[in-house]
Amino acid sequence: MASSSSSSAAESEGGKVTERRGIPAAAFVEDVQTYLSQSDLDANSALAFFQERLQQYRVVEMKLLAQQRDLQAKIPDIEKCLDIVATLQAKKDIGEALLADFEMSEGIYSRARIEDTDSVCLWLGANVMLEYSCEEAITLLQKNLENAKSSLEVLVADLQFLRDQVTITQVTIARVYNWDVYQRRTRQAVAASES
Amino acid sequence: MQQAGASGSDTEVTWEDQQNINKFGRLNNRFHELEDEIKMAKETNDNLEVASNEVILTDDDIVRFQIGEVFAHVPKEEVESRIEEMQEGTSKILEKLEEEKESIIVEMAELKKILYGKFKDSINLEED
Repeated sequence: MASSSSSSAAESEGGKVTERRGIPAAAFVEDVQTYLSQSDLDANSALAFFQERLQQYRVVEMKLLAQQRDLQAKIPDIEKCLDIVATLQAKKDIGEALLADFEMSEGIYSRARIEDTDSVCLWLGANVMLEYSCEEAITLLQKNLENAKSSLEVLVADLQFLRDQVTITQVTIARVYNWDVYQRRTRQAVAASES
Repeated sequence: MQQAGASGSDTEVTWEDQQNINKFGRLNNRFHELEDEIKMAKETNDNLEVASNEVILTDDDIVRFQIGEVFAHVPKEEVESRIEEMQEGTSKILEKLEEEKESIIVEMAELKKILYGKFKDSINLEED
């Protein structure tokens, strides 16, 4: 039995993924009857189990969506920073100073004259700001941009996987429920015909 | 949101069916995301159009052009070419998004045919 597992997803022998980055996959039920007898559950307990699973998936989905929103806001910010540093460099190359109006406080703007700049200061977070040369700043910002973009890609893939598991669980719930209804009806019909 | 729910008890759901249902769900999600992205791209395009017109009409030689969080004093011609560049960029993005949307619509129609064919009334793939 060969099973390969990467750091992000674990596969079983059927080639189906059993979990992805901590999110358990929803096992696909081939046949409801077999599943219930194998797991020794009655329909109601199975339904309760699946409902709970669904709730857990929803919680993880909320978390991932929040992370996605953060990243999606971060990326344009980094691109704006790159834009400004590029503009400063361009101005330096032609030897002109940059005149800019900036916001000092809400609704209050002031004019600044930015002379020949060799360095910029970058806000690194956690109340830390470091001075970099323009080239170093561009390198750092581009690295951050690439990291953000690839994190976003992984996140989107995680969300897709999660939504698939939610769909599978919903369909399984419907099938177990229908099977249960069918069983009851058949038992009632048998009981009615015997009496 | 479209939901896939099976209410019949005679039709069995195979792994292939489940994968089709999953794929339909994914496409539907992507479709709604695309609609939002297209709306935003169109808005950006409109804003750039308005900005471009304003710049052409203005008498000043220097326009305050927003770069990052500040408004830099940029000569009028440079502003015009910058806006044009941005417009080209957004048009290309818009075109790509529309194309993706079209192909998703086609794929979703295909899957609907397959799934309705097998499950008929037992499945609902419409928006509520």
